[in-house]
Amino acid sequence: MLNAQDNQLVSQTGPGTPMGELMRRYWIPALLSWEVAEPDGTPVRVKLLGEELITFKDTDGKIGLIDNYCPHRRASLFFGRNEECGLRCVYHGWKFDVDGNCVDMPSEPAESNFKDKVKVLAYPCMDMGGVVWTYMGTLENQPPPPMFEWTQVVETHRAVNKVLQESNWLQGLEGGVDSVHASYLHNNDITNTTRYESRSAAPSIEVEPTDYGYAYGSVRHLSKEEGNFVRAYQFIMPFTQLRPDDRRESGASPKVAGHMWVPIDDENHFVWNFVYSLGDEPLTDADKAKHSDLAYEVIDINNGFRCIWNADNDYGIDREVQRTQTFTGILADARVGANLQDRGIQESMGTIVDRTREHLATTDRAIIATRRMLQEAANVVGDGGTPRGTGPSYYKVRSIQRVLPVDVPWQEGMKELLFEGAEYSPIMQ
Amino acid sequence: MLSAQDNEMITRTGPGTPMGEYLRRFWMPALLSEEIAEPDSPPVRVKILNEELIAFRDTNGDVGLIDNNCPHRRASLFFGRNEECGLRCVYHGWKFDTNGDCVDMPSEPAESNFKDKVKVKAYSTEDWGGYIWAYMGPAESMPELPEVGWAMVPESHRKVSRRLQENNFVQGIEGGIDSSHISFLHFGLPPVVRDDPARAGHSLSNIDAAPHFIVKTTDYGFVYGANREAENDSYYWRLTPFMLPFFTVIPGGTGNPDERTYSGHGWVPADDESCWMFTYSWNASRPLNEGEGHGASFLEKEPRTMRAVMNKDNDYGIDREVQRTKTFTGIEAISIQDSGIQESMGAICDRTKEHLGTSDSAVIAMRRMYLQGCRDLLEGKEPFVPKKGSAYRVRSVADVMDKKVTFEETTEKVAVGAT
Repeated sequence: MLNAQDNQLVSQTGPGTPMGELMRRYWIPALLSWEVAEPDGTPVRVKLLGEELITFKDTDGKIGLIDNYCPHRRASLFFGRNEECGLRCVYHGWKFDVDGNCVDMPSEPAESNFKDKVKVLAYPCMDMGGVVWTYMGTLENQPPPPMFEWTQVVETHRAVNKVLQESNWLQGLEGGVDSVHASYLHNNDITNTTRYESRSAAPSIEVEPTDYGYAYGSVRHLSKEEGNFVRAYQFIMPFTQLRPDDRRESGASPKVAGHMWVPIDDENHFVWNFVYSLGDEPLTDADKAKHSDLAYEVIDINNGFRCIWNADNDYGIDREVQRTQTFTGILADARVGANLQDRGIQESMGTIVDRTREHLATTDRAIIATRRMLQEAANVVGDGGTPRGTGPSYYKVRSIQRVLPVDVPWQEGMKELLFEGAEYSPIMQ
Repeated sequence: MLSAQDNEMITRTGPGTPMGEYLRRFWMPALLSEEIAEPDSPPVRVKILNEELIAFRDTNGDVGLIDNNCPHRRASLFFGRNEECGLRCVYHGWKFDTNGDCVDMPSEPAESNFKDKVKVKAYSTEDWGGYIWAYMGPAESMPELPEVGWAMVPESHRKVSRRLQENNFVQGIEGGIDSSHISFLHFGLPPVVRDDPARAGHSLSNIDAAPHFIVKTTDYGFVYGANREAENDSYYWRLTPFMLPFFTVIPGGTGNPDERTYSGHGWVPADDESCWMFTYSWNASRPLNEGEGHGASFLEKEPRTMRAVMNKDNDYGIDREVQRTKTFTGIEAISIQDSGIQESMGAICDRTKEHLGTSDSAVIAMRRMYLQGCRDLLEGKEPFVPKKGSAYRVRSVADVMDKKVTFEETTEKVAVGAT
């Protein structure tokens, strides 16, 4: 449970809010690289942390992310002309480069120097791993590049996409560090009692704080002989999750998947989905599906990346399927994976869940740890300090799952794989 | 006219508001029984008095009406699995029975007793007269179930429905106890007449469009009515009972009062800016025929919102040519004429700007009763609530009577069994 004040603090990310200031200390995924692929292509609206922005790729291929509003009379630069190394407002022709400088002001007399006095807000951008990242904080605090391992493998070994979620960002993150619900929400075969998640539906949750966030294990005891089934996740501040994506049945090489839950405003966020392979062979379409362009069959990229199954149609719930086949009756095919079930249940809590009325249990340990860590980091930033996860220490971390002997703690048994980049040699760029 | 403060007082019904607390001392319809007809059938969303709830019928046929949000992490129980005597949240498998007790918490260790400490809000319900009724107030104030006409007859003798109206509930009631508008808003209706097939009542009500309304307080609320000049030294009387907190019976029909088909509406707040119009029709003497009953029960509705398909988004289908040449409004269905005009006042009518006339006397009486109930609660007194279910055994009157019969005498005729 949180009190109303703390609930506001962890939910709100607009400029000047404590969480907002914290998030402005990290590189943030702004949009997919293909959305601004073409030099001098169409500008794209981007809303991040409550700020309305416009992104464009200039003639030289440099990416700009600037205020939506022209500083002159506040017309939207979305309608701007992207030409000759700058975005020109269509109202009076003022033109801005990717750094926010006003490089032309044809509506003023030639002798005017007003253009040298006017700037538009501009954030630095970086194109990496199929994603345009931005940094919205002050220059002196800019962290090293967001070189998550998945952004560094060759393109054939990774996939990324995004989908709109109509709730506050933290509901997404909290679902993402809640391994327990896999036994219920994602039980897509209620007749199969052999699934580890069904055999052991009350895992113990163990959180290990690190300097970038934490690792946590959900430990499902199977039997003394078989051992414990452990899924070890990573939480990287402020909104990234890594989780094992081993497909046990296929014998394929292990993969790591993850999400980033990035606030659009306080009532909407983008869920970024990514996956990468730790082995030699590239990802197959089946590996990629829900994390890639293949999912745009059901995610409408012309409607703000909103899924075609959404709150307006109760996420397509099929009560007969729910009665006889799956726990939810909400579809979980290759294109949506478990994500639609997650999105549905998280949106159903209300746009900003009222945490004064919840009842957290022992299995919510990772959720509690997340909130504490976020609040602590917001305080650190408020006090002028440096929060966790702004260094490069997360570059090599991964997630894995294993069945371990009952007397081997996962923190020991998985150490090298989780934290030290060992064993696998993914193909680096 | 009401002051802004009084207008706020009677229109706001969330938990803790005076009007909200007053209404919570009555049984009120929450949904139709047929919406959760089968044991273990899909749960249904119910929003009443600004509370988001979920209704379900368990394996034994008992009805639960519980908080929409699971107390664990607030996921909606709408998506829940209704199975083996309880509704199970699909997020982590917590399961609740119709009393709101947590009967299973499989995500916690077996030795945990957390489930005994967690409850979900649950309200008392009764399956009564084709509706699931809810009581959302203090246990010690619970009245008897109202013995309303449509609940006292076999299922085959009644027709019930509900639909969403996009305005505050008080506007709905004010339309329901305003007989004078039928001479205008509903004038010139071609096929359906709210009175008898011979249209006697209807034409009579058109003759004198400005009747004088009289109100009499009763043990169920009040009865009001008006007489209009009729032939042979008689009056045509139309009397409408207003049964607290929001039920009406529309005057109409001819012949033996015990054999007429009666209809009416009750308006239950969904939130402050929308309400559920519950409609009921019944005949104590015989089963209803196919298609018989109030027109509101036969409106085409949007399946998910339960709004009529003729709604504010399409100006209720107004046809200006029909309005010019045939009917007063150009809007087809009577019930849509009502909801259209009520919604047009704004989601919450600004009663500081209205100008009431003499024909609005029932509206004034109803507001006074509401305000009195609110003020009593604010002063710590128990407000007036009909506790006896038998108080609700009433119906409407629409009869031509000798001029010597007084208003007082006519009001006796609303009692079921009176002649």
